[in-house]
Amino acid sequence: METAERLLAIGQGYLWIGLVVAAVFLAWGIDRVEAKAQGAWIFRPLLLPGAVLIWPLVLWRWLRVERGNACPQAPYRPPLTAQRLFSMIVIFACPAILMGALLLRQDGPLERPAVQLAAPQEGQAHE
Amino acid sequence: MSDRYIPVQWNANKWLYDGVLLIACAAYILVFLRLGAPAADLTRPVDGAILRMRAFGSCAFFMLSVILCIGPLARLDRRFLPLLYNRRHFGVITALVALTHAVYVLNWYYAFSPTDPMVALLGANTSYGQILGFPFETLGIVALLILAVLAATSHDFWLSFLGPPLWKALHLLIYLAYGCVVAHVALGYLQDSKNPAFALLFGLSALAVAGLHLAAWAKAPRKSRGSGEWIAVAAPHEIADGRAKILPMPDGKRAAVFRDGDRIGALSNACAHQNGPLGEGRVIDGCVTCPWHGFQYRLEDGCSPPPFTEKVPTYNLRLRDGVIEIATKPNAPGTPATPLQIAEAAHV
Amino acid sequence: MSDREAPFFIGWAAMPPGLRWFMGGIALGLILFLAGIAYVTAATQDDPGQGAFVGRANATGILQAEPYPILHVTESADFALGSALLLTGGGKRGVQGRAAGLDGALVAVSGARIARGDIAALQLRGGEAGLKALEQAAITPPAVQDLGRWRISGEICDGKCYAGAMRPGRGLAHKACANLCLIGGIPPVLVATDKIDGTEFFLLAGPDGGPVTDQILDHVGLLIELEGQVQRHGGMAVLRLDPETLKVIP
Repeated sequence: METAERLLAIGQGYLWIGLVVAAVFLAWGIDRVEAKAQGAWIFRPLLLPGAVLIWPLVLWRWLRVERGNACPQAPYRPPLTAQRLFSMIVIFACPAILMGALLLRQDGPLERPAVQLAAPQEGQAHE
Repeated sequence: MSDRYIPVQWNANKWLYDGVLLIACAAYILVFLRLGAPAADLTRPVDGAILRMRAFGSCAFFMLSVILCIGPLARLDRRFLPLLYNRRHFGVITALVALTHAVYVLNWYYAFSPTDPMVALLGANTSYGQILGFPFETLGIVALLILAVLAATSHDFWLSFLGPPLWKALHLLIYLAYGCVVAHVALGYLQDSKNPAFALLFGLSALAVAGLHLAAWAKAPRKSRGSGEWIAVAAPHEIADGRAKILPMPDGKRAAVFRDGDRIGALSNACAHQNGPLGEGRVIDGCVTCPWHGFQYRLEDGCSPPPFTEKVPTYNLRLRDGVIEIATKPNAPGTPATPLQIAEAAHV
Repeated sequence: MSDREAPFFIGWAAMPPGLRWFMGGIALGLILFLAGIAYVTAATQDDPGQGAFVGRANATGILQAEPYPILHVTESADFALGSALLLTGGGKRGVQGRAAGLDGALVAVSGARIARGDIAALQLRGGEAGLKALEQAAITPPAVQDLGRWRISGEICDGKCYAGAMRPGRGLAHKACANLCLIGGIPPVLVATDKIDGTEFFLLAGPDGGPVTDQILDHVGLLIELEGQVQRHGGMAVLRLDPETLKVIP
């Protein structure tokens, strides 16, 4: 339970930092990185959950744009070859998990008799 | 494709798409709770909260399975492409259904205790060393977090801000989420339900997703055949009017060589929006149109017509002995590359 | 349909006529498919059993604090004389604190009755209304009868949920909930696959007769086999299990 509390505290800290980063980014930073966002306010609340959840990525991209390091070719890279790698999960891992789980399943009803290993101890005083 | 961001770019097709999704989702929950559950042969009814967590949980699983079938289906049969068009709304609705499931679990199994429900969720079962009895809730949490991140970053702003490669990489996590969901159900409810009906439905869904991905995988284009500065493409008449031939290039990218009447031009096959396969699109009014979301690019310079600002790389072409050849090195996005003019007689 | 004539869908434009029927069919198919799956999934749920909260009940009896608080009924309009009740607090709370110091004392209890077959539990009301010591001299606690050492299989459940506080209140999907109950002090029971001396429910205890919660958490909700000394404490069968003999049945 202590580990669980620690994990939760870390998660809460992460989200609080995310909230601060998201507020600054959506109120101010977004105009500097995206021309299409200038003057567009109604869509920003919609971005809030995303910015809170992935704030490290937001900071990283923001910094890159500010430094002028954004790769202009990036948007034209071909569809990721990683797609094929990731689709392996559903092609192979999912059926394997399924089969494994069905094999391990403890199908009842089970008639397993109780076995007496030692006779009652006469006159033993418990309590 | 607007020149300024708005919350959702609604259009008739999206309204229809979302309407059908919401009806299907509501039908699932209502049929489960109002028709299916009362028909079960039970001594006493299942707790209302447990019934609801089952309804929303199974609904999210089957919806996620359908979502994952859309990609390979569209690759195998192009008539399914419209399903891809608004798939992100499908994902957002599924994430909300999954969240509802989690809230019911948290407010029932982890409530009524002196321990804080969130702490209890993470700390009540810590049997990570065993398969049977494994804390399958953790797998569900991982999947839900992934679904939440994907739903929260589904707006086009994120695509443009993070850049398509990173955005795509992030959204590939959906496969991991599905793997976690399958394990979550397989180590949880599947172990408990003695009636084979659910096991059958669950297994068939997961196997359908796997099978369709395998089929689409087998159909994926192969590696590049050529090298050097120019590669032969085809004779002009081998490309159907308004269509393209997709060519794997030596650098690992793909080019799409289009014919629009008597003009032939080449663009990068990856749409600047979501890396959709431009070469599977059509030329409409002189513009190459992406089959995924209808983004358009002029054949002669790879630029979207104003007021839009998207650009894709172009390729130079030449004609040698009646065969089109393509330069292996792409031009910078939006660079004009004069389309080849072919003789009228060439296209039969 | 050959690819050459296939209609081309553009999201922001009207649906091509050739695709309208196809998409209409898919939309209808999706709705019917999901509704059908929902019906089958819901209608084939397993029976969670007959356990339930069955109203208020009162009893007088002798409290036994170890391994977990139980009551040996000596007088009650609601329970059979000589029967034994698992005592719990509200929600996932045990009553160890309230029972401390009352071991072997005659008490009056009142609360919500949870019953499933031979197993009965009482969720005590708050304060003295739920548990009150009665002044009486010379009470004899029920005799302890030893039934020998046994190897037995079954499922470890939390006594409260299994008895009917939750439906279903057993199994792997319910494991974390059961663990949380046990951590909170609810008595653990073994629901066995066979009877010993006419009973298939055993209150679990450690080898020394004390609580055993921490040693069994990994095995809750599973079909397991274990060994231990079985004793009858009045109306309650108690199994003093050897934690190292616990194993999951393959």
